[in-house]
Amino acid sequence: MGVVRDNWRIFLLIIVLVGSLFALFSPTMAQEGGDAPGLASSGATNLQYGLQLSGGTRIRAPLVGVTAEGVQFDGTQAPQVEQDVASQLENVTVADVIVRQRTQTAGTVEVTADGVTPEELGGALDTAGYTYETTRDGVTEQTRSQTVDILSNKINEAGLSGGTVQQIQTPTGENYILIEVPDENRQRVVDLVNQRGTVRVDAYYPTGSGYEQETVLEQDDFQSIGNAQQGGEGQLPNVPVVVRESVATDFQQRMVETGVASQGGSRCQYEIAPNSTDACLLLIVDGEVVNSFGMSPGLASGMRSGEWAQDPRFILQTQNFSESRQVAINLRAGALPASLDIGPNGEGTSSYIAPSQGQAFRTNSLLTGLIAVFAVAGVVFFRYGEVEVALPMIVTALSEVVILLGFAAGIGYPLDLSVIAGFIAVIGTGVDDLIIIADEVMAEGDVNSRRVFQSRFKKAFWVIGAAAATTIIAMSPLAVLSLGDLQGFAIFTILGVVVGVLLTRPAYGDILRALLTRDK
Amino acid sequence: MVAFEVPEVDYTRYTNRQLAAVPLAVLAIALLIIGGWYVATGAPVNPGLDFTGGAELRVAVDAPDGQARERIQQAFDPAPESIRGVPSDNTYILTFQTEEVGVSALEEQARAAGFGVESSYTVSPSFGSRTQLLALGGVAFAFLGMSALVFLMFRTFVPSIAVVISAFSDIVIPVALMNVLGIQLTLGTVAALLMIIGYSVDSDILLNNHILRRSGGFYESTHRAMRTGVTMTLTSLAAMVVMTIVATLFGIQLLAAIGTVLVFGLTTDLLNTYMLNLSLLRWYKYEGVSN
Repeated sequence: MGVVRDNWRIFLLIIVLVGSLFALFSPTMAQEGGDAPGLASSGATNLQYGLQLSGGTRIRAPLVGVTAEGVQFDGTQAPQVEQDVASQLENVTVADVIVRQRTQTAGTVEVTADGVTPEELGGALDTAGYTYETTRDGVTEQTRSQTVDILSNKINEAGLSGGTVQQIQTPTGENYILIEVPDENRQRVVDLVNQRGTVRVDAYYPTGSGYEQETVLEQDDFQSIGNAQQGGEGQLPNVPVVVRESVATDFQQRMVETGVASQGGSRCQYEIAPNSTDACLLLIVDGEVVNSFGMSPGLASGMRSGEWAQDPRFILQTQNFSESRQVAINLRAGALPASLDIGPNGEGTSSYIAPSQGQAFRTNSLLTGLIAVFAVAGVVFFRYGEVEVALPMIVTALSEVVILLGFAAGIGYPLDLSVIAGFIAVIGTGVDDLIIIADEVMAEGDVNSRRVFQSRFKKAFWVIGAAAATTIIAMSPLAVLSLGDLQGFAIFTILGVVVGVLLTRPAYGDILRALLTRDK
Repeated sequence: MVAFEVPEVDYTRYTNRQLAAVPLAVLAIALLIIGGWYVATGAPVNPGLDFTGGAELRVAVDAPDGQARERIQQAFDPAPESIRGVPSDNTYILTFQTEEVGVSALEEQARAAGFGVESSYTVSPSFGSRTQLLALGGVAFAFLGMSALVFLMFRTFVPSIAVVISAFSDIVIPVALMNVLGIQLTLGTVAALLMIIGYSVDSDILLNNHILRRSGGFYESTHRAMRTGVTMTLTSLAAMVVMTIVATLFGIQLLAAIGTVLVFGLTTDLLNTYMLNLSLLRWYKYEGVSN
């Protein structure tokens, strides 16, 4: 019993070490394989690697938009308000204006088009006759969380496995959307998330005096959206859809009236001869006509007889398969209420690391860390000359890293370069403290009793505690501020110091005492 | 096993003034450099990509070194601001401080020239300037927090201010060295500056503790504190020198930046702890207390 009581610190360290190794290597502790969001898991251990060490794309950007708070609607309906505001601003369509009712009579008005300033929005509201409290940059919380949901949907629909989208707020109050997609090329992610993805179908039809265009189907008008089809045998790539029953009859009627569903169908020549074509349907994504098509005789007669509305299936044709996929993704995920500010003049940041580069970073940074440990070990051996003092020192410092690795594996914290830098810092501060303990304990002759040892150890610990406190203070800004990549560095340095002071460094004291007072 | 001993310095041969003069002169020069930099460039340090905004590409070029640089110069419009070769794997790190062309266009130019894009990174200027404010605030907070803690621990003015001045100098001198050697301020170097605050204070606290709180004469305590403190700094220094070299060879910029600045900081710390801090303590112990 005495052995355990005297050396309980060593036993505690061993127990924590075993726990950490369990978290690191046990298959039962493994998180759900590579499916964990934003991360890639490696083979032998349960460690998760971040994008820097596994490859992938990260985009961080705010949303484009300005908001007016406390707008008084005075009974005007939201769609009307949207129209009023849009008409007062240049290059802004109704789709760019979002009205959210907070109370019976008041709410917020957001404009999510690029290049509108809060002042311009204020001016537009004044001219349109609405009073408001303030206008500001940025969008509302609802718009942000809606955007996050839709972006996640888009990434899932596009089959980018493991991608994550989240909202982050800096301590200074700016809001950003953070998108992380492992293993994926930057351009592809940007293309995907940069599209607002508003899909609509317009009818383009001749009238007495030229042609008119009118929206006949919108994003919400679809009951279900099928998978993109390759087409073939005279058929273009397409997306099969089912139109909602509530709008099917209306749509059918409009088709007949506009002449798209005329006797014997319609042949669209919108692209070659827009001024002499039959009536057409235009598939429009983000304001641009993606494709134009007419109607087959069979479908047209179904519409004319009114049978189609009983079974309102329809296909949206595109020029090529990738467009079909894009349309399907956009329809299913929904349109983004606001777009990300990432162009050349945007506010965002993005980074991409090739998977091969990530792998190289992983092994190289591990190697760097190991070599640093050897350098430390070399100096310590050189200085003390006694294996009994130096070896436990290195082992203890390394055990701190094992505990931290176990912790990272246990909570699934993704390892990045900054975390590895943190580990190296931990070894540095750890060994420093062990040197303080060793020097203090061995000062002035032999340690010949437990009492002498205890008092010396306590003295050493005052310095260690003081040093630990300053390190924690120095690192805390980085741990809290969202200075991007450095959060992991700070968190793990602080954790390492805490683990060191509470666990490993006291245990080293016990080991040293056991070794030095062994024969007395 | 060969054990080395930290040599005992005969401090009695030097007056406090002599001891403090060297580190204070170095600090003054460092402040002059930083001040001059501020006057000349409008910023006390050269802000890197993280703070100015811009783009960075790492490309794999399949050509011997001389030709590779030439091909890179030709491939990009605008031409990269800096090209740095990574010895271990034939890749080159290019930086662009430009707003006109997005990183997507740069990636395309690289692919068109037949280079492999290993990584790309872009920061917008507005985001960068906000990061800069945050980073400055972080360093200031860390420094003030450390100072407050030191005063709380020692509760006497001279020993506390000695630690604070040493730590201040430990940060300022590496920053001046960064300017002279053309190292830019990045997130990695900011992290290193924060770590200097944590690391450098250790040896100062140790020295103060030995001299103020232990029995034994001043020089004996000093020697004991030095034995431990110098060993500590040397081990950290060894780790950081090695880390810097290896990380540079591998092109791991974050680790290389942290390593370089810490090497500066730890070396400076030896000077400041055992000359500046020590002279202040000796003055306090022999003259300050009796006054």
